Amino acid sequence: MDKIDLAFTLDESMRPVDGRLTFDGEGVITVRENGERTRSLSAKDAKEAQVLGGVGCALILLTYENAPDIALARFDMSRLKAAGEWCKIVNHAIETGKPAFDDAIEPEVCEKCGKTLPEGMRVCPFCFSKTGLLKRVWSLMKPFRREAIISEAFIALSGVIYLSVPVLNRVLIDNYLAPRLGTAAQIMLLAGFMFLARAIGEVIFVLSSRVYARVGTLFSNHLRDLAYAKIQKLSMTALGRRTPGELIRRVMEDTVTIKDFLTDYGRWMVDMGLMFIASMVILALTNWRLTLLVFAPIPIVVVALYRFRSMIHIRYERQWRKNSRAQSILHDIIKGIRTVKSFGAEDREIAKFAGVSKDLAQVMTNNETMWALLFPAVTFFSGIGEFMVLYIGGKWILGGSLSLGVLVQFTMFLGYIYQPLRWLVSFPRMLADAMTSLVKMFEILDEEADIQETALSKDADVSGGVDYQSVSFGYKSYEPVLKEVSFTIEPGEMIGIVGKSGAGKSTLINLMLRLYDPNTGRITLSGEDLRAVSPRLLHEKAGVVFQDTFLFAGTIYDNILYAKPDATAAEVIAACVAANAHDFIMKSADGYDTLIGESGYSLSGGERQRLAIARAIIKHPRLLILDEATSSLDLETESIIQDSLNNLTRKRTTIAIAHRLSTLRAANRLIVLDKGRIAEMGDHMQLLRRKGIYYKLVMAQRQTNKAAG
Amino acid sequence: MQDVESASAPLLSDAIDLGYLDPDQARFSQTPGGFLALNYKGADYPRVSVRRSLPLAMPNEYLSLADPEGKEIAILRDLSRLDADQRGLVEAELARRYYCPNVVDVKSVKDQLGYVYFELTVQGAGAPSARMCAVKDVNKNIRMLSDDDVIMFDVDGNRYRIPSLKALNAKSRKRLEPYLF
Ligand SMILES: Nc1ncnc2c1ncn2[C@@H]1O[C@H](COP(=O)(O)OP(=O)(O)OP(=O)(O)O)[C@@H](O)[C@H]1O
Ligand SMILES: [Mg+2]
Repeated sequence: MDKIDLAFTLDESMRPVDGRLTFDGEGVITVRENGERTRSLSAKDAKEAQVLGGVGCALILLTYENAPDIALARFDMSRLKAAGEWCKIVNHAIETGKPAFDDAIEPEVCEKCGKTLPEGMRVCPFCFSKTGLLKRVWSLMKPFRREAIISEAFIALSGVIYLSVPVLNRVLIDNYLAPRLGTAAQIMLLAGFMFLARAIGEVIFVLSSRVYARVGTLFSNHLRDLAYAKIQKLSMTALGRRTPGELIRRVMEDTVTIKDFLTDYGRWMVDMGLMFIASMVILALTNWRLTLLVFAPIPIVVVALYRFRSMIHIRYERQWRKNSRAQSILHDIIKGIRTVKSFGAEDREIAKFAGVSKDLAQVMTNNETMWALLFPAVTFFSGIGEFMVLYIGGKWILGGSLSLGVLVQFTMFLGYIYQPLRWLVSFPRMLADAMTSLVKMFEILDEEADIQETALSKDADVSGGVDYQSVSFGYKSYEPVLKEVSFTIEPGEMIGIVGKSGAGKSTLINLMLRLYDPNTGRITLSGEDLRAVSPRLLHEKAGVVFQDTFLFAGTIYDNILYAKPDATAAEVIAACVAANAHDFIMKSADGYDTLIGESGYSLSGGERQRLAIARAIIKHPRLLILDEATSSLDLETESIIQDSLNNLTRKRTTIAIAHRLSTLRAANRLIVLDKGRIAEMGDHMQLLRRKGIYYKLVMAQRQTNKAAG
Repeated sequence: MQDVESASAPLLSDAIDLGYLDPDQARFSQTPGGFLALNYKGADYPRVSVRRSLPLAMPNEYLSLADPEGKEIAILRDLSRLDADQRGLVEAELARRYYCPNVVDVKSVKDQLGYVYFELTVQGAGAPSARMCAVKDVNKNIRMLSDDDVIMFDVDGNRYRIPSLKALNAKSRKRLEPYLF
């Protein structure tokens, strides 16, 4: 290939256009709109090609050393990635004078149909075939299938026994009672059969119900475990998209809805279905004309239900969302109750929740109202059938064309036929409820872990160095946070990372921990591409203190143990001594057994940090990552901890982020991050001599120290 | 200049200088390269960006003018304080930075595995065009700004607006319905 094309979608006035931006090997850039050349210029004089992001759109521009910038092409966000690639190629040509067309800009396309996939998507919307939900439920039920089937078979059996009662009844009336032929013994026998049939049917039913209830409970348990396990495994990217309230709801409530549906409705569905079909066959064999009358209203009911189905579905989906929202708000507020109180915002929060709650109540009321109207309507239609059977059948009896026994049998069967029908009315509603929950459930279960641990994942070797090779990353693919970051950390080195807030420091270590994978470029650990390394094993081996320390509800001891469940008491105490936490722990009556509340709020900020440090170092990790780990501590405590850490960190790789530069005085090298790029790198003296960003930071802090001292 | 809002309580906005643009000393112009340039208080800014502080609530007020490094030059309190031709230039720049075409038709909606795929006809400036977009987490990415006004964000970072649901055709509205709440 000797030129590279980029399709763009908007003209200078933001009108849609079929645009093409071409860079040829000679260094000439051509802009075409709707096939016509609008501009042609040479890349040679330019300084750089850049993508400039707007809101909902972006553009490519050429910058010049001594001339105004030129906008080349504008496009919607879907072209962003390709535009970045295009610029890279052009910039390479500008820098080296040589074109490099090795990687073409190919948007990702579906393997099957060849349509462009929306960015960030793996499934093509047009080729994806939905596996039947019920099929999936069936496969999830695998461990309980046998019991479910047995129970189902018994229910069917009891149904068949029940059905024999009206038939016996007809025989009794037509053969013995109406002609006044039967003996007392014969009547006794038939009546006894009917009684026995009912009794046996009842016993079998009760037994099978108990089995079924057990299956249901086990199944919901199983679902809950699956969902919880999946949530634990989800990547940070996937988790970041959902509120804790939503996740909790999925684990705790959706599983119950699904279970209720299966045990109540799944089972009745089979039961009633069988009864319905069997009744129909028996009736048709007895008298087909009367049978037609019985079934006359059924199509109306079915058509009505079918028509209402999607409406009902939408309504319940909405109810689910509103409910979810109310729960999320509740969860957030209760978690942040300290902040709420500190702003005196209790009343506002009460009002806010009342609003959401009222909203939910409104939706629920609407749904119930619709229901209350729909239900009697259907009952009414089936009542028509009942009326017709009695009226016309009665006329036929009077006319002599029908026997009394048959009519009695029919009226008894009417119950069996219309009952499932009435129940069928509430079925779509339950189905909608269950489907909504099922879909939400499978949404979680199907979430492809962005960061996958495969069977091939290698163990993490944290003893070697870390190497970032032009790593770019954004939490949203269109908002880069780190740009082309490259650096190497030698094994055993202590690296300090400094930079303005929001520069991407924490992000840098998130990538190192493989909480996220880079968008482009790669990170190697001891020479191994991090993508091939098991994140779980990596986390087991690295010690980390995050900027926002989180402690679990429990004792101090448990919290430290969290990092190394098999640690001895001596190890726990040693970790706390090293983190200078031992003294304050011993001051409280219960020592290491002191309970700390949720998020550790019963501790001071600095105490929390020290526990977090203890938790990170108890594993005696060869890779230690500290993100503002001592920022809440006074200088003296900090320096005590640092000394003990320095003793510990000899021969181990340490990456420390800090705003307070004194924290990093032991660092071998410092990396200065600025707006996602590495601005400066070197040791303290080198950076001072550069008189750049680091120099300014040092001077600013000296100034404040002086002012304070 | 600043609004005098209340005489009694001291306001933070009086205590802190927001650096409002003085329209009399500002001269916007359009560059041949397709950008907005500004001459302000004698200084030349060959490429300024105009960023809305409140893109949804107050799209034409509190507009931040910044140089390519993102350093703020001044805040334009209200677009209407500029005279017509100057305002036109700033408006054009806003249109180039904030692209959010209106949805005029929803052809199909497909919902699977957490993504909702919309086949849309959208219209910004110029002729309507077809768009295929994928939305993840509809709860968050389809937002009702009011009872009638909807904004959607797709996975790529594109935005689409439905300024009035009522004005949308019935079929489209019905297709969207399940995702609005
Ligand atoms: N989970 C997230 N989702 C989306 N954006 C994020 C997320 N975490 C951070 N960001 C954004 O990424 C950018 C860099 O964040 P980062 O936490 O790496 O900054 P930092 O350098 O550690 O800052 P600080 O010194 O304040 O801790 C910020 O603009 C931030 O808003
Ligand atoms: Mg940080």
